Amino acid sequence: MDKRWKIASIIGLGWFAALPLVLSIGYALLYSLGVIGALNKGFTLLHWQKLFTESAVFGSFAFSAYIAVVTIVVAVALSLTIALQYHRHLQRGFFSSVIFLPMAFPALVSAFFFFHALSKSGLLSRLAYKAGIVNSIEAFADLVNDQWGIGIIAAHLFICFPFFVMLFVNRIKSERVGAYLSLAKSLGATHWQALKKVAIPLLIKKTLPNILLYFIFMFGSYEIPLLLGRSSPEMVSVLAVRKLQKFNLYHIPQGYAVAVLYTVFTLGLLIIILRSQKLDYDL
Amino acid sequence: MTFKPRYVSIAVITLACITPVLVLVLLSLSQSWVYPKVIPGRLSVSQWREAFRQNTGIANSLYITLLLAAAVAVISTTSGFICSKWIAYHKHKKRLLLLAYLPFVLSPVILAVCLKFYFIKLNLAGTFVGVLLAQLVIAFPYSTIFFTGFWNRQMLQYEQLVKTLGGSQGYAFKMVIVPAAKPLLLICFFQCFLIAWFEYGLTSVIGYGKVPTLTIKVYQFVTEANIYYAALSCCLLVLPPILLLWINKRIIFRQVK
Repeated sequence: MDKRWKIASIIGLGWFAALPLVLSIGYALLYSLGVIGALNKGFTLLHWQKLFTESAVFGSFAFSAYIAVVTIVVAVALSLTIALQYHRHLQRGFFSSVIFLPMAFPALVSAFFFFHALSKSGLLSRLAYKAGIVNSIEAFADLVNDQWGIGIIAAHLFICFPFFVMLFVNRIKSERVGAYLSLAKSLGATHWQALKKVAIPLLIKKTLPNILLYFIFMFGSYEIPLLLGRSSPEMVSVLAVRKLQKFNLYHIPQGYAVAVLYTVFTLGLLIIILRSQKLDYDL
Repeated sequence: MTFKPRYVSIAVITLACITPVLVLVLLSLSQSWVYPKVIPGRLSVSQWREAFRQNTGIANSLYITLLLAAAVAVISTTSGFICSKWIAYHKHKKRLLLLAYLPFVLSPVILAVCLKFYFIKLNLAGTFVGVLLAQLVIAFPYSTIFFTGFWNRQMLQYEQLVKTLGGSQGYAFKMVIVPAAKPLLLICFFQCFLIAWFEYGLTSVIGYGKVPTLTIKVYQFVTEANIYYAALSCCLLVLPPILLLWINKRIIFRQVK
């Protein structure tokens, strides 16, 4: 009986974890190399050459990295501040419930809200009009579908900062940061010095795998940039899906090439993360 | 009257977290939101009544999403719990765990567009079962990783103790392991439920829009510029997770490290 369960487990893990990735990347790679596909005529590197001469692809990777880095830096800074300042308020009471509300928001809903909050006719624009800051709808700044991805960053930030708050609050408890802070202060450090030299480096080091894994997740984000992004530059997932679902069939191999490139990038990053840390990371 | 900066900050953060929920609820109750009005006008519950009575498809989407999320949660939690035990006690635990991490390498939507070919060949594209299988690709490895930490030396010793005292493996599983894992099983169930409940990209590609979950419906209403029904669908998407979070906050808080 036990042996049967073992076999069933390995088949299940292989079937649902490894096989889909191998099949999808295998298919994408073969398609991008012209080996399979409706209009392909045999092995060619032409689609990859086209991809590397197209600046949109590199722009897309750079834009995705920019969005992920800015969101994570702001989210970590904000969450660290909240966790270190208010970790007692976060244990119980109304505040401890309210701060985790954004975790109940799917990415699509967050994008929908931020569209109606930050667009020219949105909530912020209306408040600015009522406050006399702007005198017409056109005078309000472009905060969605803008070149800097402000709307995309805001929507991501909203859904990810409670996750980091939760992470840091738990680490503050498990790593006994309070005791270290008291020790640093008793040795003559000011409150700010104790935070800067002890608490923040300790918390960042202990949560680095989670932060990097969140970078991977954000790098491949789809729903938020789909609603709040513009056509150029696009985030990688949006670019790949647009190329793959276009009516022009000649763009499909390039779409698969983008998917392969993206997978190699994130797989490499994941291996670096897992090699540099213990693998007993708990989701 | 003096304000402490600490309480002002707490009030600002609270407002930032509550405002989206309030705006969505108000928009779902409204029938017009003309610029520069801050509060939407003509608030009434008639929109909610119409949404479920008329042929908007919202009620149908709600049932499909509930069924899909519940099925994904039950299957992935059960199978992940069993699979994780085998992995946790295996001599190649690290390598096997690496396999479980693989689906997280790809964005779900990119994984879906690359896998679509196989789903078409198997006649699973555009079907409920197809979307369910596609979502299990994400939820099952998640559940497996989630439970790996549970199978420690202590659990193994409990199991061995039951066997030493004459109990069968099934008895140890039923009377010792499952009761000990009950809170974790509950958390994993809710988290897998939420994975399926929140999913859009994978469902839209594999489901071809023929499996109209609530997220698909929201996107459809947004592209139709029907913001009131979109907000209503958003409320239906957000309110159950809020309820689940509220119920499980303390347990989840202790588990995430």
